[in-house]
Amino acid sequence: MKNISVIGAGYVGLVTAACFAELGHKVRLLEIDPRKLSALEQGVIPISEPGLPEIWQRNQAKGKIRVTANYIEGLLGADFVFITVGTPSTRSGKPDLKWVRLAAKSIAEAASGPLIVVIKSTVPVGTAGIVEEIITRYGRNGHNLPVVSNPEFLREGAAVFDFMNPTRIVVGASDKNAADVVNNLYKTIDSPTIICDNQTAEMSKYASNVFLATRISFINEIARLCEEYCVDVVQVEKILGKDPRCGDGYIRAGLGWGGSCLPKDVRGLLHMAKSRAVPLPMLRTVQQINQRQPHLLIEKLRRLLGSLEGKTIGILGLSFKPGSDDMREACSLSVIALLEEQGCCIKAYDPLAMKEAAKIMPKLTYCNDACAVAKDSDALILITGWNEFKELDMRKMSSLMKHPVIVDSQNFYNPEEMVKQGFIYEGVSRDITGYGKLEAVAVDNQKQRLHPEQS
Amino acid sequence: MKNISVIGAGYVGLVTAAGFAELGHNVSLVEIDAAKLSALERGMLPISEPGLPVIWKRNQANGRINVTSNYVQSLSGADFVFIAVGTPSTNTGKPNLKWVRSAARSIAEAASGPAVVVIKSTVPVGTAGLVAGILARYNRNVHSLPVVSNPEFLREGAAVFDFMNPTRVVVGATDPNAADAVAELFKPLDSPLILCDNKSAEMSKYVSNVFLAAKVSFINEIALLCDAYGVDIVQVEKVVEKEPRCGDGYIHAGLGWGGSCLPKDVRGLIHMAKSHAVSLPLIRNVQRINQRQPHLLIDKLRYLLGSLEDKTIGILGLSFKPGSDDMREARSLAVIELLSKQGCRIKAYDPLAMEEAARLMREVAEVTYCDDAYDVARGSDALLLVTEWEEFKQLDMHVMGSLMNTPIMIDGRNFYDPDAMQKAGFIYQGIGRRGVKAQGVRSFVA
Repeated sequence: MKNISVIGAGYVGLVTAACFAELGHKVRLLEIDPRKLSALEQGVIPISEPGLPEIWQRNQAKGKIRVTANYIEGLLGADFVFITVGTPSTRSGKPDLKWVRLAAKSIAEAASGPLIVVIKSTVPVGTAGIVEEIITRYGRNGHNLPVVSNPEFLREGAAVFDFMNPTRIVVGASDKNAADVVNNLYKTIDSPTIICDNQTAEMSKYASNVFLATRISFINEIARLCEEYCVDVVQVEKILGKDPRCGDGYIRAGLGWGGSCLPKDVRGLLHMAKSRAVPLPMLRTVQQINQRQPHLLIEKLRRLLGSLEGKTIGILGLSFKPGSDDMREACSLSVIALLEEQGCCIKAYDPLAMKEAAKIMPKLTYCNDACAVAKDSDALILITGWNEFKELDMRKMSSLMKHPVIVDSQNFYNPEEMVKQGFIYEGVSRDITGYGKLEAVAVDNQKQRLHPEQS
Repeated sequence: MKNISVIGAGYVGLVTAAGFAELGHNVSLVEIDAAKLSALERGMLPISEPGLPVIWKRNQANGRINVTSNYVQSLSGADFVFIAVGTPSTNTGKPNLKWVRSAARSIAEAASGPAVVVIKSTVPVGTAGLVAGILARYNRNVHSLPVVSNPEFLREGAAVFDFMNPTRVVVGATDPNAADAVAELFKPLDSPLILCDNKSAEMSKYVSNVFLAAKVSFINEIALLCDAYGVDIVQVEKVVEKEPRCGDGYIHAGLGWGGSCLPKDVRGLIHMAKSHAVSLPLIRNVQRINQRQPHLLIDKLRYLLGSLEDKTIGILGLSFKPGSDDMREARSLAVIELLSKQGCRIKAYDPLAMEEAARLMREVAEVTYCDDAYDVARGSDALLLVTEWEEFKQLDMHVMGSLMNTPIMIDGRNFYDPDAMQKAGFIYQGIGRRGVKAQGVRSFVA
């Protein structure tokens, strides 16, 4: 049993704290935001993550997790201090290390004995060195505070599972003892371990995430080609996913990658490259392709409906992925912004994320369910593939709409089934026979606009 | 037991013919090249592929494989005709369909009954339609000749294994009966089966190969950044590879991808895009990064040696990958051409591919072929490891270094352990392994 302090009650911090407590350690979570702190004291978790509340409450009840805003109290007797603060992008794409620096300084000033500082946050190459420097500068008691880089590889929606069943544990350190001791914390967890230096650990986190982004942009580029050649990209994905050298997952054409990690980490790596004058043409393209995806969707919609001015567009799903209420850099944001530019009225429904979404987009019309979104809409756009959207009565949905048009940005539905239910369906490089219909509708619309009396 | 004709005794045709015979079918292989044909009749295979000679000879002996140059004879009674001819790149990158067209025409003219025509060659999207058109035009007896796309996913060096243990069998067709009949052929192999239309099958073959190229170029791009930040790419690769969605292999920085498939298929896909006015910026960059990699080595060499004029450079490994004598678009060709332009003297050794290399390099550069790696090292100013043959790991590096003018090793495959090489007295440079930054890269990419 070790004493572990965790700095920052964000996503990573909460999961790390709860799971180390679950593994039998004594955990103190430092959070300086008083509102967050008091909620946590009452066992209320600010994020929605399967399994987390149970673990949290159980270990809090047993006294194995405590929360505090006081570094001195938080670090008292600690063997390890994990830095899990946020590293959001600044405007230039550079990860903002403000919170990391602050945590390092506070640790140095508050440490009352030797302990190991572990960086879990995603940080640019060289940050462990910066943290070490800060600690040396501000550490008044001359304690030994080695810095270990131990990046997290948690998926939102499966973070507790991923903590307990990691695909790899990366421990980067220049101090071999510190590395061994950190590695030992995970010894009850069966996982491949990679021991390396700090910079390698830092770089490998970025490379892993950026590779996932590359996969998605790759298939989105291929989807363009499939569209031109009337090939169903979903079939191509299936065949590709069966190749063990390719691997499955993250090869689904659609709106592209969003969320709190991939966009930030792509920007972070590009910034790292820029600051050393290394060109990363491929990664730049990965980013450009992603930025283009929402525009393609709008183009499709315009082809179907003509001008979008004054049209009512219904959005199904807002969060960056199903099962989450996280709206950070969700693709829905850029789609909605583009629709607003075109003068659309927008209605939306999401099973979990509407509260979060309303903070960012207060003017949107939020509906109680998908049917309310469909009612009198000129078109629906499926953005987040929540399972409940598969259970909808599509015949009813299409009959409620002004025009039964659905643009499926995730290739979530079966095109033939949707057509059977009365929809004009558009996926991403899918049902090309739909294009004929598409143009017919567009022509119809044109006619209606030119000769409204005939309709 | 079915009667199967296979058109073309190239790499894919030979493996397909032998594989189907081994599965118990009656196979007739059509090859119009007389020299090839007579060798095959005597059981001599023109390619080196583990396990293939054994299967070939066994099935030839029990009469289940016949070779012929006569389409009529081969197709008489055939249930299936597999088109396994080559589709090499033309100058523009467009796959040359000459052999596919002429096979289709010959099949149409020779068919004496209904047969399913199966395209195994890697062909651009729409080729099945083209073949169907040719068959309809030249088929005088109006037999039903449905066209099925059934791309191969064979790795050179493991092709027989891959034929017998496929990761997926793709059957693309518009005629469901023809699709089922072809799927039935692969039933004993117990593999995931994907039934789709012809175009999806054609596209998916390209995309699968191009994705592998993209993986390699991705990690080569990251390797540049690693050089800039003093990080060892080999460690980074280990972490990325553990990502369950990464897939096996191909996350390995080095000289890049070569061989008979990936470069051709990347060009093919880019050409397909161009002819429909689609831009593929990502895949263009995948290709550009690959074209850049040999320049990186030369850059590192120049950084260490200054001018390369009259320097003696030793090349270890020539074939496009270890275990093969295949020199088609091997990276060694690009490296040697660049060295030769710099005025280097070039010595080389490869365990298998020297004969083939000598044939290809005759016009490009003057190369001295050596008896072994030590012979290459003797008097060299630097060594370049191009193909990672296992035997190059067994070399006594102390001896190697002592034979050289300057003990420099540029490791184009990150094959050696940098610390061990340094201990053996070498000045070691890998790709993305805390080495010198390649200075010329920027201008090249821009």
